[in-house]
Amino acid sequence: MGSLFRSEEMCLAQLYLQSEAAFACVSELGELGLAQFRDLNPDVNAFQRKFVNEVRRCDDMERKLRFLEKEVKKDNLAIDDTGENPPAPLPREMIDMENKFDKLETEMKSVNSNQEALKKNFLELTELKHILRKTQQFFEQIILTKYKKNNNQAALYQQDQETHVPQQYDDETPLIASEFSRSFNRFGFVAGVLMRDKISAFERVIWRACRGNVFLRYTEIEAELEDPHTGDKVNKYVFIVFFQGDQLKSRIKKICTGFRATLYPCPETPQERREIALGVMTRIEDLQTVLNQTADHRRMVLSQVALNIRVWLIKVRKIKAIYHTLNLFNVNIEKCLIAECWCPVVDIDRIQLALRRGTELSGSSVPSIMQQMQTKENPPTYNQTDKFTSGFQAIIDAFGVSNYREVNPAPFTIITFPFLFAVMFGDMGHGLLMFLFALYLVLKENRYMKHKPEDEIFKMMFDGRYLILLMGLFSIYTGFLYNECFSRSINIFGTSWNVRAMNFTDNDVFLATNPVVTLDPNKPGVFRGYPYFYGIDPIWQSAENKITVQNSYKMKNAVLMGFAQMIFGLSLAFCNRRHFKDKLTLYCELLPQLLFLCALIGYLCMCILYKWSVWTVAQSNTAPSLLIGLIDMYMLTDPKSNNRVPLYTGQYQVQIFLVIVTVLCVPWMFLSKPYILYKRSKQKKGVRLDSQSDDDVAILHHENNDANYGKQEPESFDMSEVIIYQAIHTIEFCLSCISHTASYLRLWALSLAHSELSEVLWSMVMHTGLATSGTSGAILSFFVFWFFSSLTVSILLVMEGLSAFLHAIRLHWVEFQSKFYKGEGYIFSPFSFTLIVEGKVEE
Amino acid sequence: MVLLSKEDYRHLTQCDTLEDLKLHLQGTGYGHFLANEPSPLTVSVIDEKLREKLVIEFEYIRNHAYKDLATFLDFIKYSYMIDNIILLITGTLHQRQLSELLPKCHPLGIFDQMETVTIASTTADLYNAILVDSPLAPFFKECISEEDLNEMNIEIIRNTLYKAYLEAFYDWCQQKGGATADVMCEILAFEADRRSIIITINSFGTELTKEDRAKLYPRRGKLYPDGLLELSKADEYEAVKRVSELYAEYKPLFDGTGNNPGDKTLEDKFFEHEVTLNVNSFMQQFQYGVFYSYVKLKEQECRNIIWIAECIAQRHRAKIDSYIPIM
Repeated sequence: MGSLFRSEEMCLAQLYLQSEAAFACVSELGELGLAQFRDLNPDVNAFQRKFVNEVRRCDDMERKLRFLEKEVKKDNLAIDDTGENPPAPLPREMIDMENKFDKLETEMKSVNSNQEALKKNFLELTELKHILRKTQQFFEQIILTKYKKNNNQAALYQQDQETHVPQQYDDETPLIASEFSRSFNRFGFVAGVLMRDKISAFERVIWRACRGNVFLRYTEIEAELEDPHTGDKVNKYVFIVFFQGDQLKSRIKKICTGFRATLYPCPETPQERREIALGVMTRIEDLQTVLNQTADHRRMVLSQVALNIRVWLIKVRKIKAIYHTLNLFNVNIEKCLIAECWCPVVDIDRIQLALRRGTELSGSSVPSIMQQMQTKENPPTYNQTDKFTSGFQAIIDAFGVSNYREVNPAPFTIITFPFLFAVMFGDMGHGLLMFLFALYLVLKENRYMKHKPEDEIFKMMFDGRYLILLMGLFSIYTGFLYNECFSRSINIFGTSWNVRAMNFTDNDVFLATNPVVTLDPNKPGVFRGYPYFYGIDPIWQSAENKITVQNSYKMKNAVLMGFAQMIFGLSLAFCNRRHFKDKLTLYCELLPQLLFLCALIGYLCMCILYKWSVWTVAQSNTAPSLLIGLIDMYMLTDPKSNNRVPLYTGQYQVQIFLVIVTVLCVPWMFLSKPYILYKRSKQKKGVRLDSQSDDDVAILHHENNDANYGKQEPESFDMSEVIIYQAIHTIEFCLSCISHTASYLRLWALSLAHSELSEVLWSMVMHTGLATSGTSGAILSFFVFWFFSSLTVSILLVMEGLSAFLHAIRLHWVEFQSKFYKGEGYIFSPFSFTLIVEGKVEE
Repeated sequence: MVLLSKEDYRHLTQCDTLEDLKLHLQGTGYGHFLANEPSPLTVSVIDEKLREKLVIEFEYIRNHAYKDLATFLDFIKYSYMIDNIILLITGTLHQRQLSELLPKCHPLGIFDQMETVTIASTTADLYNAILVDSPLAPFFKECISEEDLNEMNIEIIRNTLYKAYLEAFYDWCQQKGGATADVMCEILAFEADRRSIIITINSFGTELTKEDRAKLYPRRGKLYPDGLLELSKADEYEAVKRVSELYAEYKPLFDGTGNNPGDKTLEDKFFEHEVTLNVNSFMQQFQYGVFYSYVKLKEQECRNIIWIAECIAQRHRAKIDSYIPIM
């Protein structure tokens, strides 16, 4: 079992690195990802550490790269991802990189500011264009209304306008314009552009501030304009305000600035407007070409960046991570850095190899030294996982990371978890669907590994794909046992029951008139004498008392499985005690616990099995109830005295013995351990007093050593604390024996719920479709099927599956792991580039 | 998001440069808010970014709030709007350009019509043309007059606005009832009293008459009504002190204040008391006070960071410790 059964053996090692070789060595270790460095300067501020300047330079480089990346993304260029993993560059290359990024940043910035200026210019021109166009419409509308009022030539004028505008326009407009300007020349006007969301507030303020003495017209610009600074698309309005007098003019201008409206000069006569419009159009065209050229240039620069930026980012992140790690080291000795790290004992060779490579790379002559240290501190927990086991390990770690070298329940969970899930989710059809879904994920694994799924829920399912695969597989298995496939049974081997053998008077007539008949297994031939070959007989599917029979069967099964798992948990505790050489707990706690559980629940399981195997159908009328038997056992009543049939001869005597054992176990669990601890501490005190005079110096020296490694176990012994602790544990265990067994009944309850729900879905939905005959039935079935299948997936697979999953988790975390698992360790988090580059680790 | 701890402040005060400050703030709840700023850093950049962060957080809460909480959060915003308007009017009075004034406005108090206040020359103008549409309109009713805007007038407008605002806010919280009223009325009462006291102290030696001054006192604090009556008669600092010492809450604030070096100013004492009140509001659950306190404490924290940053930037370390401790 090796590595999965217990966490890796760890050791604390001290590294002596030459100053010039340190960078390369740490870089090699980062690629390896097997060492967890400890902070040797916990009292030093972040900005007082030795390599803080290098970290800062990296921060700056990262900032520049982020800026470039943002620009690349703005242009929708694809960032090249070759999957290449460049090694961390040497420190002297850092300056080159800095220069390169600096140049790129300044270039990008100048391109940007150029483009912004051009865009601003462009925006202004476009706005002016729109203003000229829109104001033209305003003026024309006014003229038209005037014409309509004065004479009916308006229609004619309009016709002229529509048919031959270009020629006639010039001849006719001056006349109109002059007339128009005569009537309007007393009025000044201001035209401008304003953001869409401000227009209503603007209108109100203008109206109020000028006391209604102005005339405001506005209309929306249909095209979206681009904000030159942010690049966002914005909607704007063109407005024109007519007013009288200079005072109003200055006031309106102030309001316009207040609302950040851009004002544009707009000539009064149509000719001038047309001229300007023409000029604007040509200028816009020119500007467009210039803009395109800048955009091309920008694209060129950015496409270069896009090719390399991923590699650059990885390099910078690696350098930064290395300097962060170097900051953890002790730098007090000259020319040498001292580091302390946790590493797995089996990988020491690989680490040493990496150190040698690093030293060679840096060209240093003095080798780096690694030496193991003795420590009393708790080492971190490191469970090696692969893609298959990681999902199961994650379930265990979610409850609590195991103590160092404690039995890791993950390998057993690989089988027990899907099995317990499947007991609650037993259905061949549903299991098959689940299995196929997981199989798809497993087969497409490589594709999804490369392009990490964004969706969180999907990602979760993807991470647990092997778990789901096994869950589906086991569900098919238990579905076979329950003989259920979408709640229907399959008759493969032929049922063991025979209705004809009942010999009803005039069989056919009787069956035709009685929809329900009772089959008596005691009549010869009705039950063929051998059970259905595999799983539950399909005849039960049509039986009226199907649920009653299955309930009794599944309930007992749940108790049996629960007992098995709890006993297994206790045997793992036994492994733990053996491994930690804790004989005291083994004999004073574990042994009575085992006896208690066996005498209480184990005996019940025995009875269940005994009754199943010995009591036959013929005796079923007189068979004793197990529940009453259990109650009698603890009431210490003889079943014979109540005229009950005993389960077996000598039941009373056996039960009395078991009750005595059970009762005796309680004080054993409660008192023996505190008593022995008390004795020991008394003894120790005596020894200490003796030894102190003898080797005072030796002890002092020893304690000095200990102090170096931090925490020291407190020597003081508090009797009351031990007793309270033990009392709590004893009470908890005794109660939990009952409550945990009862808790396993959820296996039955959920399985019942699942089969009932799928039964209901079948009979209420699918059945109605299939029961209708003829063409209408075919059409109905077609539609009903979609309804049925979507409900099957959403309710039975997803919802029920989730609920069974949660209950399976609970059974593992609480009922199983409470028997042996402490889960108070801390996880081994090595310094590894793969995690850092993927951004999974915050510095 | 948590506030900075004592430990954090200790580290911040030990920084030698603003870069160090940035590095340390990265390790706190502020995270990487300065990560995209090129060196060298300046205090104004830090200030701007801190403010931006606060505003983003506030707007986030505001966007998720509805009904009563939305009204409550809007009330918080109103005080910033008042400040902004006053800032703009004063600025225009001194012939400053709008573009120069706008960056100084608090982003929480920006509203559509704000920038047009420059066109108003009288208070009536200000109300009729501009503020009538803004949420501040109800507070403005008391100070409409045909007088031209001058410095004195503006101060009066500011204080009248604040008075109306505080009273409205107080009444709203009172009407809301429950724990919100318990917490907020306490804080707002203090705010009202602080304003009354400060107005009185600042009015000495100005042409403000005592009757006018009495009109500016927000009438919701603990000083109302007796204390305010006494306060309106005061014409020297000692008199204010005598009035305040009759109230158990304010007595300690006046003790030990003075302008001697090493003494804390009255203003600092007030700030400290406000911080205590705001911290206490987190002791109660299911009430809106925490939002108000959160904004105020965050703001105080920003002021502290800026103070420390200024001290570092100006190499004036002697006073670096005189920030207002929060926890």
